[in-house]
Amino acid sequence: MDSKKPPRWADKLLQFVCAPELFEESQGDLYERFLRNATLFGIPYARRQFVRDVLGFVRHRPGRKAAVVVKNTINHHPSASLFQPAMIRNYFKTAWRNLLKNRFYSLINMTGLTVGLAVGMLILLWVQDELSFDRFHSKADQIYRLENRVGTGSSQQIWTTTVAPIAEMGKKELPEIKDAVRVTDGNLYALFKYKEKTFAEDHSAFVDPSLFTLFDFKLIKGNPAKPFPDDQSIVLTETTARRYFGTDEPIGKVITADGKTSFTVSGIIHDFPKNSSFKGDLFLPISLWFKTIYTNRKDGRNKDNDFHEFSYVTFLLLQPGVNTTALADKLRTIHLRNKPDDTDLTYLLQALPEMHLYRADGTDGGIESVRMFVIIALLILVIACINYVNLSTARSMLRSKEVSMRKIVGAAKGQLFMQFIVETALLFVLSAALAIGLMSLLMPVYNQISGKELVIDFSNYRLWLVIGVTIAGTLLASSIYPALLLSSFEPLKALKGKVSARLTDATFRKLLVITQFTFTVILISGTLIIGNQLEYIRSKELGYDKSHTFSFYMRDMNSHYEVAKAELLKQPGVTDVTRSSANIVSINQQTGSSDWDGKAVGETMMVRPMAIDKDFISFFKMKLPLGNNFTGSVADSSHFILNETAIKAARIKNPIGKRFKLWDQEGTIIGVVKDFHLASLKQKIEPAVFYYKPENESRIYVKTTGKEAAGAIAATERLWKQYNPDFPFNYTFLDQTFDDLYKTEQRTGTLFNVFATIAIVISCLGLFGLVAYTAQVRTREIGVRKVLGASVPGIIQLLARDFVKLVLIAIVLAVPVAWYAMDQWLQGFAYRITIHWWMFALAGLLALAIALLTVSFQSIKAALMNPVTSLRSE
Amino acid sequence: MRRSYLGEFEEVVLLTVAVLGTGAYGVAITDELDRQTGRAVSISAVHAALHRLEEKGMLKSHLGEATAERGGRRKRLFSVTILGSRTLHDIRAVRDQLWDSISPQGLPAVSL
Repeated sequence: MDSKKPPRWADKLLQFVCAPELFEESQGDLYERFLRNATLFGIPYARRQFVRDVLGFVRHRPGRKAAVVVKNTINHHPSASLFQPAMIRNYFKTAWRNLLKNRFYSLINMTGLTVGLAVGMLILLWVQDELSFDRFHSKADQIYRLENRVGTGSSQQIWTTTVAPIAEMGKKELPEIKDAVRVTDGNLYALFKYKEKTFAEDHSAFVDPSLFTLFDFKLIKGNPAKPFPDDQSIVLTETTARRYFGTDEPIGKVITADGKTSFTVSGIIHDFPKNSSFKGDLFLPISLWFKTIYTNRKDGRNKDNDFHEFSYVTFLLLQPGVNTTALADKLRTIHLRNKPDDTDLTYLLQALPEMHLYRADGTDGGIESVRMFVIIALLILVIACINYVNLSTARSMLRSKEVSMRKIVGAAKGQLFMQFIVETALLFVLSAALAIGLMSLLMPVYNQISGKELVIDFSNYRLWLVIGVTIAGTLLASSIYPALLLSSFEPLKALKGKVSARLTDATFRKLLVITQFTFTVILISGTLIIGNQLEYIRSKELGYDKSHTFSFYMRDMNSHYEVAKAELLKQPGVTDVTRSSANIVSINQQTGSSDWDGKAVGETMMVRPMAIDKDFISFFKMKLPLGNNFTGSVADSSHFILNETAIKAARIKNPIGKRFKLWDQEGTIIGVVKDFHLASLKQKIEPAVFYYKPENESRIYVKTTGKEAAGAIAATERLWKQYNPDFPFNYTFLDQTFDDLYKTEQRTGTLFNVFATIAIVISCLGLFGLVAYTAQVRTREIGVRKVLGASVPGIIQLLARDFVKLVLIAIVLAVPVAWYAMDQWLQGFAYRITIHWWMFALAGLLALAIALLTVSFQSIKAALMNPVTSLRSE
Repeated sequence: MRRSYLGEFEEVVLLTVAVLGTGAYGVAITDELDRQTGRAVSISAVHAALHRLEEKGMLKSHLGEATAERGGRRKRLFSVTILGSRTLHDIRAVRDQLWDSISPQGLPAVSL
């Protein structure tokens, strides 16, 4: 049916090119002709002819003069089209000449644009990378991570790992769940050996075989239907396989783990993409894990009934459109049926693509930085655009004569508009090319400070998307207004020297300068406050002394601890040695399994437990306001030391000698330790319990004198080799571990500094250009003033006053915005600085000083000029 | 009074409009041109010429009835104005005058 009609697109094209009042008859004529051709020569010919006829109309453009201007039928003479090749050549020629003629301003514009575009694009690339996390799976929007919310009241927690049986049961009982995969990184094996090569593997995991089907981690070698043919199979990533076997065929090779168990390589997967939250090197069947931990269990637990061990990261593949809250409730019902006393436990589902940017409870995590940086990128781009708009509109006054002449000679408004658009576009294309070059240059530095591994891969369409959108957006934002303004001059008035009111009244330009400096002040105060907060974190009294201390996990050294300790203390540079079960900088373990007299029914207090040696408290110079320390006696195994927060949370009065139970260990409280920061300062201090159990204390701390630290480390390594000949010696200084806690914040701080600096530089560049222009326009005025006796400072003041006023307004506008934004950021820290007015005052002063510096350079130059030269120039 | 100038194609179109009388619109003019002169011209070219002539005041137009074969679109019917008529007559007078001034031997003989 449709093919009996003329082609629709041609019809549409006709409507587009034809003036509205002529459209009906033209279309009618073409239809009539189409029908005749169709009967005479057949439909294909008629359709072709129709298109040909329409194209004829495109050429003649009946009733239309220009692409944008529709004139009425009377009073039009056929005039040159906007897009004739000759005109286009001319646009480029004049644009190029203009750029060359005003080298100084072109340079300022281009520098600002290049830097702005390069930095803006770099940030947006980072943002794009962040947003792309975990989205590459074909079923990404149906995959969820199963989580538990546990505890009551203030000690409520979210665990991202859950119990083993829930995945199987859920899959069996609930039709919403299509598939599930469990992952646990149990440390059964550490050393893997193939022939002469031995590696200590940190990234091995026990997984369900569905890992390779549910996610897009497809086997590239091996049997996809059965990734693990038996419990002694192992799947490796490409890189891992290459590490062991070089270029040899990996499938079927046998790797020995810890010298006792052999695994046959049964599959190879691609390396994990950089934007995958899930990573690993070696994968073993989870059935082996279950077999190992549940064989010969006295408590009768097995993989199908153990609702105690929350150590499995579980991903569910759901049917499309499933209500996750309802599903979570159903899972909870299953859990409670099997373990009725977990009344404080609920289930949660987090969508896979949200794992990277949101916290486990769904609140904002990394997405905050993403938002912050999107805003900064936009600010920088806007500042760069404003520069261009300001300079070109300001300078348009100088060009009013050119424009008027063109108009008088017969240029249509549309043509002038095009001319200025082309001029801007040319400058942008040059800047964009430079910006891409600059980006490639800056990439390594940028990766270093942002902690990413971004590459500029020109074959990647995403890169072009970012580049294209950025450039098109900025070009659009900065070309239209100046072009409209310039093409709107009224020739006679302009030639007489009266420029349209829109120009002399520079309100718009002033507004833009204010905007620029508002952004600048916001960025400066942000930098100041972030810097202050980071400094505060670093210097805050932690409640323990972590200086010059390094620490490591002892492995087999733990069973010879006393000997090793005595040996270490003999070394020069070592002042003290102690041990505990966790790293004091960040105690990760947590349990709700505690009891005390006065505990309410259904109450859980989450505590951070840590086994410590008897000299631990003195080693870290911690304070015991109440009670005593462990003495190392046998009785200590039923003694506990709680921190003040724990005492407060448990509401225990006169704690010394009171009953306390941790896990299955009944005992008494023998001391109260003063609160110390056992995790990042973003978190409040939580309840903590010290207990005494030397066999658990496998982390050793060695305090050095600082100066002789290197010698102490070397000595320790020699000792390490005695007990752990196969393992590499990995130690970290507590200061380093502590700094690592704030890596993201440090990074944000550094990036913020860099971006703020760039924003300031670009703003100043624009200001510099504007002042230079003002001085140029007022050369003669300044000359006359000087002849009449004006002083140099007077003239500088004259030129600078206006700009200073603008900056002051900007400061007033910026302070509330910056205050609010930084307050929001600080909310992320449990321990934070208070925002003081002087921070904003300082930021304002800085902005003012920078602006003054920029302005005064040109002003002084203008003021010092000899009036004879400036007045003779007419 | 301005001297009006007609291009050759415009002149032919103007004449065709006169030939067709009351039924002069785009397609009809194109067809008539084809038949009378053997020139296959595109509709768009005819349209352009018609509008130019109208602007010059040699044609006037009104919208006619719609027919089914035109998909319900009305046709624009053209007729020659006084100015158009006079211009045509002027041109013809000039031509006639020139023809009359040619001496019998002035043109090589052409056998028709």
